[in-house]
Amino acid sequence: MYPLIELGPLRLATGGLLLLLAAFLFSWLLGRAARHLGGDTLAEHADAALLPAIVGAALGGRLWYGLVHFDAFSASLSMFAALRLSDMAWPGAMLGGALLGGLWALRHEAPLARLADAAALALPLPQALASVGMLLSGEAFGRTTSLPWGLPLLGTIRHPTQLYYALAAALSAFVLYRMSRSPLEPGMLAAVGLATQGLAMLLVEPLRANPALFPNGIHVGQVFGLALILAGLFWARQHAARRPIVAPVLE
Amino acid sequence: MLTTRHWNALIVLTLIFGTVYIALTRAAPAVLPPSPVIEEPTSNLPAGEPAPEAGHPAPDFTLEALDGGDISLSALRGQVVLVNMWATWCPPCRSEMPALQSTYNRYHERGFTVVAVNQQEDAATVAAYFQENGLTFPAVLDRTASTAASYQVRVLPSSFFVDKHGTVRVVYRGPLPQGILDGTVEELLKE
Repeated sequence: MYPLIELGPLRLATGGLLLLLAAFLFSWLLGRAARHLGGDTLAEHADAALLPAIVGAALGGRLWYGLVHFDAFSASLSMFAALRLSDMAWPGAMLGGALLGGLWALRHEAPLARLADAAALALPLPQALASVGMLLSGEAFGRTTSLPWGLPLLGTIRHPTQLYYALAAALSAFVLYRMSRSPLEPGMLAAVGLATQGLAMLLVEPLRANPALFPNGIHVGQVFGLALILAGLFWARQHAARRPIVAPVLE
Repeated sequence: MLTTRHWNALIVLTLIFGTVYIALTRAAPAVLPPSPVIEEPTSNLPAGEPAPEAGHPAPDFTLEALDGGDISLSALRGQVVLVNMWATWCPPCRSEMPALQSTYNRYHERGFTVVAVNQQEDAATVAAYFQENGLTFPAVLDRTASTAASYQVRVLPSSFFVDKHGTVRVVYRGPLPQGILDGTVEELLKE
């Protein structure tokens, strides 16, 4: 666990630092993915939608984190607005980013499905980077385990849940990049992206030591994950029946 | 190519299997420790020698408190004390603070206190954090990390339960679950 990097008088939080780097990486990959899928026009739309999406992700991520830790946040509502990068939750960030980014696309009559495809293609690698940041800062740590790949963290050997998420994101990136080389109906990459995100949450959340739970012990993250998978399948069903109409633009 | 009917079947199957999997992997109350484990002495050190290990006298310290005064561990003899090593930049430390406050509120009148030993941060940062989060238990500033060194702290947070006689009874590394926190304090207060 290396929560801080000390550079002379500067003390940088590794989790927040890698989250920031992940955001920059996402913005760069989003432009590339959009250009790959829809040329310069889609890349321009993606550039313009990036700011509302990032703002939505920040608001959603903090709101979700605050609601999950409401016992602490209710004592001081100003914590919802605190400038602390690490107090974010992925499900809220994803919802918030999709909501504001999607609203921007609808308002500007941009091709929503193609933008969603580009976002799905751009997201996994930054997500893997952010997961490594969580490992360094000791967040979202796993339950104790005797499995050989367990990592020493917080005084015992634990499931490296953050690395499981990073691995899932890397696999998701691989699948999506392979798919993006074939002719696909707009929206199909986003559908697969949703499903892989959801599958990762469904499988990994039970291994976390301090997950958000409903009162009956059900993991909040798993319910969200299942909802993502179903959303992906619904979206795929909507689009799969149509004939492929867009040939990929390979670089 | 899947037909709409195939997609519908896939969706229904996913919903069923997903729901069953979620139900099977839900956090059962049984996975939580039912009661705190009060450690027996395990060290090879001579009895009576101060050490951050169960069964040994807790290493004493005197550190500057947030209000400007000093707090000594030895001055708290007669109370059950939770010595908690923490920092504001440490997410697991922050996550356990509401539990510490809750236990402090519940047992303070019966002779329990928390001493939150902050690691190398300035008083203003710590005071602001305490104020923002409505924390009222005592906090002290381990400016040089000398107390952390004497308690052999390798991870944050680390917690040391000290009984009324000044003896370390339980060492817990990582964020304290509320159940362990309350249960341990309850047991030590009974003695």
